[in-house]
Amino acid sequence: MTSGDAEQGVAPSDAELLRAHVEGDKQAFGELVRRHRDRLWAVALRTIGDREEAADAVQDALLSAHRNAARFRGDAAVTTWLHRIVVNACLDRIRKRQAHPTVPLPDGNRSDDRPSGVEPAAPATDHETALLVRQALADLPADQRAAIVLVDVQGYPVAEAAEMLDVAVGTIKSRCARGRARMALALGELRGRDADHAPGGNQDATQTVPSGPGAVQPPPGGRDRRDQR
Amino acid sequence: MTGAEFGGVDIDLLADYIGGALEGTPDESAVATLIADDPAWREAYEQLSGGIEVVRAELASFGPVEMPDDVAARVDAMFAPVPQLTVVRGEAPDGVREKKRNRRMRWATPIAIAAGFIAFVGFGADYLIGRGSDDSAADTASSAGGSAENSTALDAGIITKTTGTDYTRATLAQEPVEPMNAPKSSLGVDQSEPQRSMASGSALSRLLDPAALDDCLAAIQQEQGGSITVRSVDYARFDGAPALIVRFSGSAGSWAWAVGPLCGTPAGDADTITQVPVG
Repeated sequence: MTSGDAEQGVAPSDAELLRAHVEGDKQAFGELVRRHRDRLWAVALRTIGDREEAADAVQDALLSAHRNAARFRGDAAVTTWLHRIVVNACLDRIRKRQAHPTVPLPDGNRSDDRPSGVEPAAPATDHETALLVRQALADLPADQRAAIVLVDVQGYPVAEAAEMLDVAVGTIKSRCARGRARMALALGELRGRDADHAPGGNQDATQTVPSGPGAVQPPPGGRDRRDQR
Repeated sequence: MTGAEFGGVDIDLLADYIGGALEGTPDESAVATLIADDPAWREAYEQLSGGIEVVRAELASFGPVEMPDDVAARVDAMFAPVPQLTVVRGEAPDGVREKKRNRRMRWATPIAIAAGFIAFVGFGADYLIGRGSDDSAADTASSAGGSAENSTALDAGIITKTTGTDYTRATLAQEPVEPMNAPKSSLGVDQSEPQRSMASGSALSRLLDPAALDDCLAAIQQEQGGSITVRSVDYARFDGAPALIVRFSGSAGSWAWAVGPLCGTPAGDADTITQVPVG
C-alpha cells in the first residue's frame, strides 16, 4: 500500500506526477491528490475525529505538500510522504486544541483530544462491540490513536507507519500495543458499565489500569520502549 | 475484564510483550518468565491477549471512508489549473491614486489604486501561493487591451477590490480571479457600480478614507513585525462579518489577513480577525 500501483503502466507513477508538478505541470499535483485523497481523508478523520477539523487539516497539509514538493527527496514513497504531512497536520491541530481548550458542549461529548463520533455506523453484527471499540479508540491519547489508525485500521505495515509518523519502528509497535491494551481494558469496563446501567462515557477507564511507573510491580528493566527502533 | 483485575502487573509492559515491542530485548525473556511463573501475570496475559485480539479484529473491520463530495470539491478547486485570462473592470476614483502616491509609506511600492473588480470564479493553488500570479496579472493587463489604469494597478502597487466575498479561514488564502468568460454576476454583485459603493454603506466605510487605510496597514505592519509590501486590499467579509482582506508579503513570507472595521484604531491595533500564510 505504497503508491498508485493500479495506475502504473498506464498512468504516470506518483513520483513521476510529483516530479512533473515540480517542473511546472499544473495538472500533476491535482491528479496525485485525486489518486490518494480518500485514504488521506480516512486517516485524518479517524485521527482527528472532527469532520471540519479533518477537512482543514487535509487542506493545510496538501497546500504544504504542494509548496514543498521540491524538497521531496524520494527516500520514501510519495504516499508515505503525503500521509506524514497529513498526520502531522492532524496531530498539530490536536495539540493546539489541547493548548487552547474549547468550552465543552452541554452533553459532554467533545473533549480536546478525542474524536467526536464521526466514524461511520458499525455493521449490524455485534453492533454494540463495534460502537464500544470506536468509543475506546476515540478515548486513546492522540499518538496511540494515530499509530493504531495507520496500522490496525488502514493496514499499513509497521515500518511504513513509522516513516509516516517519523518515529522508530519500536515506538510504533509500543504505541499500538499499549493502545490496543487500553482499548481492550476499556472495552471490558464499558461493557461492565453498560451492564450496571451506569452513566455513559469512559472518562475514568484508563485511570484504573495499573501500568507504567506507578504499577505495583516494577517492570524488568523499567525502560520506556518509545525510543527504540 | 478491567485493569483493576491485574493487580501487580505492569499492563504497558505486558502490552509491549504481546505486541512484539520487546522482541530482541532482555525484557522479552523477563516478561516471558513472569508469565510462566507468576499466576497474576499469566492470567493477565491470557485475558489481555484475548481482549486485544477482539480489538484488532474490530479495528480491521472498519469500512473504507471516502472523502465527502464537498471536501473533495474544495480540494480539487485548490489544485485546479489557474485561468490565464482575467478581466479587470472599472476605473480608479479620481485623485485617489495621486493621494495614495503622496501618502506612500515604507511598506508599499508605488501605490496606485485600481477600480479593478475581480470576481470569484475558481481558485488555483499556483495562483494562491504566488506561482503564476505574476504571469496571470501580466496576462490580464495585456489582454485587457489598453486600460492604462488597470495595467498600472496590476503591475505594481496596491490593488483595491470590493468583492464582498464572504471568506472563511479555509478560503482566505485564495484570491478571487475571474476568467474572461465568467458570468458577469458570478458574485451576485452589480459590477457596474463604482467599487466603493459596496463598502461605503458598510461598517468598512471608515477604511475607505486613505488616511484610515494607511493607519490600518501601519498597524498590520506593526503587528506582523518588519517591513511589509501590501499587494491588495479587499473590502469583503469574513465568516459573515465585514472585514478588510489585506494581502502582503514580508520577511515572514506572504500572508492574507482579515481585519475588522476598527483596524488602525487605536494606533497599532489591527483589529485582526485571523491571518493565514499564502505561499
